[in-house]
Amino acid sequence: MSATDRRQFLIRTAQMAGAAACAGVLWSPLVRSQAKASAHALRPPGALPEEDFMALCLKCGQCVKACPFETLKLATVADDAPIGTPYFIAREIPCEMCVDVPCVPVCPSGALDREFTDITKARMGLAVIDPEICLSMRGLRCEVCWRLCPVRDKAITLNIVHNEGTNRHVRFEPVINSEHCTGCGICEKACPTEESSIRVLRHKFVQGRLGEHYSPSSDGDFKLQDVRRGTDIAKELNPGDKKQAAPGAGYFNRRGGRDGIIPGSTP
Amino acid sequence: MTEKQKDMAVPGKSVRAEIRHFQMPDTLGGKLRVWRFLIARRFIQVSILVLFMGTLHYGWTLFNQLVLTGNMSSSRLFGVIPLSDPFAVLQVIASLQWPHMDALIGAAIVLAVYLLLGGRVFCAWACPVNMVADLANWLREKWGIRSMFIVPSKTRYWALLLTLILSFILGVAAFEWVSPIAIMHRELIYGIGLGFIAVLGIFIFDLLVMARGWCGHFCPLGAFWSVVGRTAQIRVAFDDASCTRCGDCVKECPEPSVLSFKEAAQHGMVRSGECTNCGKCIVVCPENSLSFNLRACIRSNSALRSEHGSTS
Amino acid sequence: MTSLSRREFIKTSIAATTAATAGFTVSQAALAQANAAEAGWKWDKSVCRFCGVGCGEQVATFQGKIVAIKGDPDAPVNRGLNCIKGYFNGRILYGEDRLTQPLMRMKGGKFDKTGDFVPVSWDQALDEIAAQFKRIYKAKGPSAVAMLTSGQSLVSEGYITNKLIKAGFRSNNIDPNARLCMASAVVAFYQCFGVDEPANCYDDFELADTTVLWSNNMAEAHPILWSRVTDHRLTDKNSRIINVTTYRNLCSDIADLEILYKPNTELAIANYIAREMIERNAVNMDFVNKHCIFATGPVDIGFGMRPTDKFAFPAEKDTLAKQLNYTIDKYEAIAQRRPEMAGKSVEQKDAGRADAHWHITFDEYKRGVAPYTLDFVAELAKGDPAESLDAFKKKLQQLANYYIADKSKKIVSLWCMGANQHVRGVWFNEQIYALHLLLGKYGTPGNGAFSLTGQPSACGTAREIGTFSHRLPSDMLVANPAHREKTEKIWKLPAKTLNPRVGTALMIALRGLEDGSVNFVWTQTVNLWQSTPNTNHWLKAARKPENFVVVADSYPTLSGKVADVVLPAAMINEKWGMFGNAERRMQCWRQMVNAPGQARPDAWMMLEFSKRFTLKEVWGELPLPGLKVEGFPENKLPSVLEEAKKMGYNENMTLYEVLFATPDNKKFKWPDPIAKGMENSVVNLLGDGWFVEKALFEEYRPFTFGGHDLAPFDMYYDDKVRGLRWPIIDGKETKWRFSEGNDPYVKPGEGFNFHGKLLKAIPSGDLDGVKDTTPKPLPGKAKIFFRPYAGYPEKLDSNYDLQLCTGRILEHWHTGSMTRRVPELHRTAPTAMLDMNPADAEKRGLKHQDVAWVETRRGKIKMVVNTRGRNKVLPGTIWAAFFDEGVQVNQLTLDAADPLSLEPDYKKAAAKVYKA
Repeated sequence: MSATDRRQFLIRTAQMAGAAACAGVLWSPLVRSQAKASAHALRPPGALPEEDFMALCLKCGQCVKACPFETLKLATVADDAPIGTPYFIAREIPCEMCVDVPCVPVCPSGALDREFTDITKARMGLAVIDPEICLSMRGLRCEVCWRLCPVRDKAITLNIVHNEGTNRHVRFEPVINSEHCTGCGICEKACPTEESSIRVLRHKFVQGRLGEHYSPSSDGDFKLQDVRRGTDIAKELNPGDKKQAAPGAGYFNRRGGRDGIIPGSTP
Repeated sequence: MTEKQKDMAVPGKSVRAEIRHFQMPDTLGGKLRVWRFLIARRFIQVSILVLFMGTLHYGWTLFNQLVLTGNMSSSRLFGVIPLSDPFAVLQVIASLQWPHMDALIGAAIVLAVYLLLGGRVFCAWACPVNMVADLANWLREKWGIRSMFIVPSKTRYWALLLTLILSFILGVAAFEWVSPIAIMHRELIYGIGLGFIAVLGIFIFDLLVMARGWCGHFCPLGAFWSVVGRTAQIRVAFDDASCTRCGDCVKECPEPSVLSFKEAAQHGMVRSGECTNCGKCIVVCPENSLSFNLRACIRSNSALRSEHGSTS
Repeated sequence: MTSLSRREFIKTSIAATTAATAGFTVSQAALAQANAAEAGWKWDKSVCRFCGVGCGEQVATFQGKIVAIKGDPDAPVNRGLNCIKGYFNGRILYGEDRLTQPLMRMKGGKFDKTGDFVPVSWDQALDEIAAQFKRIYKAKGPSAVAMLTSGQSLVSEGYITNKLIKAGFRSNNIDPNARLCMASAVVAFYQCFGVDEPANCYDDFELADTTVLWSNNMAEAHPILWSRVTDHRLTDKNSRIINVTTYRNLCSDIADLEILYKPNTELAIANYIAREMIERNAVNMDFVNKHCIFATGPVDIGFGMRPTDKFAFPAEKDTLAKQLNYTIDKYEAIAQRRPEMAGKSVEQKDAGRADAHWHITFDEYKRGVAPYTLDFVAELAKGDPAESLDAFKKKLQQLANYYIADKSKKIVSLWCMGANQHVRGVWFNEQIYALHLLLGKYGTPGNGAFSLTGQPSACGTAREIGTFSHRLPSDMLVANPAHREKTEKIWKLPAKTLNPRVGTALMIALRGLEDGSVNFVWTQTVNLWQSTPNTNHWLKAARKPENFVVVADSYPTLSGKVADVVLPAAMINEKWGMFGNAERRMQCWRQMVNAPGQARPDAWMMLEFSKRFTLKEVWGELPLPGLKVEGFPENKLPSVLEEAKKMGYNENMTLYEVLFATPDNKKFKWPDPIAKGMENSVVNLLGDGWFVEKALFEEYRPFTFGGHDLAPFDMYYDDKVRGLRWPIIDGKETKWRFSEGNDPYVKPGEGFNFHGKLLKAIPSGDLDGVKDTTPKPLPGKAKIFFRPYAGYPEKLDSNYDLQLCTGRILEHWHTGSMTRRVPELHRTAPTAMLDMNPADAEKRGLKHQDVAWVETRRGKIKMVVNTRGRNKVLPGTIWAAFFDEGVQVNQLTLDAADPLSLEPDYKKAAAKVYKA
């Protein structure tokens, strides 16, 4: 190769490298913006800490298929979660806390930790209650979140407080305990207020941390304190009954299963 | 003589005055025969997606196991055999994370298969973007749109290098987060989102801006497979004797640089890892000078030939 | 509306009022906003549609729709609070598939039982119903038709229906679904006190030192009352709560003492406590001698099942056989003082006289409770296999101590379905009364046995109006000639109009559809084909060609599916109404909005129906096969038309004119200032200008004088009033009954007077039977019953090895036809799951959320297994709620019942569970 040729080669190489570097500069923020954690992106149980998870997840979707409740979905660009990664929206379909954790063993890359076998040790997120809207906090008898919590009386406990307003009732106030809350979101799904008064967020958006210089005098007192697919039943009973002669007629006249005699059950 | 003619010239072989060119047969049978590799490729590309979709949405099983779970980034065949995209796994490793055995075994299996078949067989026979790129290319040629500018095809190797460097720096698999191939197959299987615009983008780019823009110049996955493809055991064999240098193969080839007559004549085959084994050159050659064959057989043939000298 | 959306208004206004009630502060801006937004709203008082607690509500309407609802801060029961069912009261009217048109099965333009439902006009529907009714009535008489109504019916609806069927059609075949919930309590009230309904009131929750729950899941079934009980426990550190239960429920979390016992053995536990009282000389002899007598009844009374297996499914025949012969185990043998009969079969010879009872001596009572030693009862009753016998014994002793140890400590016993829906429910009710009567701790503030009511107006409507097959208003009985006479007088009926024979209780009516003795059934405000036990029978029976079934309801339900005509009914605030809750508090509301489409109040349906009958058709001679009553001809009801003519009736007058639109009633004109300008659909539809609800209430009132005294209609509707607890004498309500100073019917110096009049003259004898048949009158006395421990018919065996118990959860009401149509409530509990002990599940290869078949002798359904449920059932027990139309739990339950009350036992069916 002549000197000119060599120079040309070097120049060309430098050009390519430069172009690559420019591309890299544009490419990096794209990756970073996708690969940062979202407050709402609840991961499957057994997911490694977010940074490791992001690095390992191949976005193959095998965990999505393995979940018997179709809880998980792979994020698309417009979703509030890093693209292609599995996440769930508790208010739609929460994690049902399967004892055999079927989503974890199928993950090929280990983004879901194979060592994770005890579902109660999941820490997908932490529940947080809006104390102004929560019906139980207002003194009504609700506590649905507490009743349905799979780790009831550990993750959610009831703080029973005299109701000064009526002076003859109590408030059964649900309290979240971060030591046990798995972040499954069953509570968020079931909460009867129009926008859920209890919701699960990633830990880092909820929890504070004491400074290392401060040593609490009585250990254990410092806990975080915060004050299956429901649809419109009418649509469930009357699917596609828009053409019925009058409300209820479509349901009453529908054949099969319940016609005359009822659901699958003759002895 | 032009460079091309020099290249095409064979010592002791006169350039024929009359050169035949490819003629599309009139009969349907003939047409199908011409399209045979295209049909096979589309069949496999679509089947892969169909198997994924059917398993996910309809729970298809065989041998009492789900047929094919996951997507082309990583999957499981019959619930047992892991398969992974080796490039994706490589990126994960480059980001200093060691994935679980399943991913590594899966990558190894896929890699082994493509080492045998030819790395870029993925591009022509599996990759879903190929269907988009081919369509764009066909339209572009039909409408006579020319590339707006030239970019060296080696750029994709820089993209490959950049992918690995960025993976290292950023700590995540850099290409997997933006890959339009992954977007396409993942979202076709799991649900299409706004990101599918990337696929549309490739189509428009290939149609209006640059011929074979994405696949031929930028795709780092293709670059990866090209590197893997060096050891391909199935190659396009070249019979120099019958070749008239009509150049129809070069016109059709999506990677024309792999069709160097000198090299092909020298080795009896297309040796470049960049050859996708798409078979377009084979069906288009009016002299049937090209065919698929095992590398081993080609070698032995060529050895035979050189022993006995050229036949012309 | 101002710029904010309607939702914002509701949010801020509810926030403002509820927050203020609950002791939260709300920003002034929010309050101002709320006030401005509410400018066009009309608030009026109302009552929660759901349980027997009877929380007060304030309902806001605007432009013909309910726009907001809040707990009524002025209601003493709840002071502005609700449970989430009450919270959504405003939404239950607006489900998407609200029935708005009458639907009838037709083919070729005519009624056809095999046809599809087609919308028809009201006239068409009522005409066809009347025609079918008359066809059956003419052929078979009043015993072949039945009205099945509800503990959720309004006072006015119950009264109209009761009068129509009893005085008009002369049939006593009217029975409410309260038969399925409170009948056992009622019979016990009658037998012990001679009058229905509790002596206590909710004030006792704040006054009791000890509160004992007897198999009563108060935390979920009476949510606001539980809140009060819990608050009392919190604020009075010395108070105690005891949960005596067959499975761990949410009450156990607050209870100081939890006693897990085996089903039915509460009968033994109660006797143990009574025995302890006697042993320790803790019986208040002064009280007992002055105010009580001892009594007992027969033991071998069967289980309320049919005495024939002609209609039984093959698999249930062995259970049914127990009705005739029942093998007692060694515990029952000892408990019933016939140890030699252990393991032997005993003929149930007294099944026909289950409610007979007679006076015994105190010594006999002592002899009765003698076998119930601590050792015997502990061994029999211990429910948790993991608990040591010693620990259980200690708990029983503690329970006894709470009753006995301190004379000055006040104690309240509470119970509901766990005691009433029980093959010996009446007995158990009586035993609890016995405990309190023996100690003299009854009917005074903080002391008493308080039978809690489940439904919103089982008291006010079903029981007080007497919409039962054996009752007349205000605790009178159809079988009592004096009571019939009084009723005929008030209702201005000829003598002998009223049928003297007890009619078909609810389960008997359904069995009647099956065996052909009843062919016409009209149901109101109930979903019986989902809520009664052993429904596979009734589902088929309704579809038999000879039967005609009318279902009046507001939403499509399973019952409608097997009916022939479905009538769209108006819901709570779409009509004027009154409910009577568990503490005798009668509360009311005005009509606030109109019902949608063609939906109409049940009262109007009955009144319209009554227009289609003339006296000639119903007051003539009628067949009544099997009638043998003194003063009546055999096998028929006599014609009273002659007498009617003498009274000024014309035989062509309609029942509407004779029973309802009487000259006296028409004096109550509409409109009435008490209405405050609100509408009245019933009055408008009838079009003859008389205030139906008020007139009939004032017609009903005289029945109540002398013990049930209700206030005038207008007093209840006074804006300052939030219901009144009867009896109301001189405008004052009564909180506690039968004790001096509290009950106006108890004269000074009497101390106590159990002034109920029923069953107050009984024969005497000993534990084994009647010895002297002369009825001994016992005015003013209460009865302390000895009742033995007895078993139940369907015990577990190797095939059906799990005990199925059913009940309710807080989130849903009954069969879910209303609460499931509120999406927020539906999402809290989309399906009824099977609560199962984790060990039991594992043994059957089931894990949490697996789908399993649950099968009994009567049917099988699929359910999702729940091993993390709110109820922690003991091994050997499973539990399910019945609110889910997709999970027909009552196809599994059995219709064994308490023979005295005919109330079915929903808590003990033998089942098996296996993977689906």
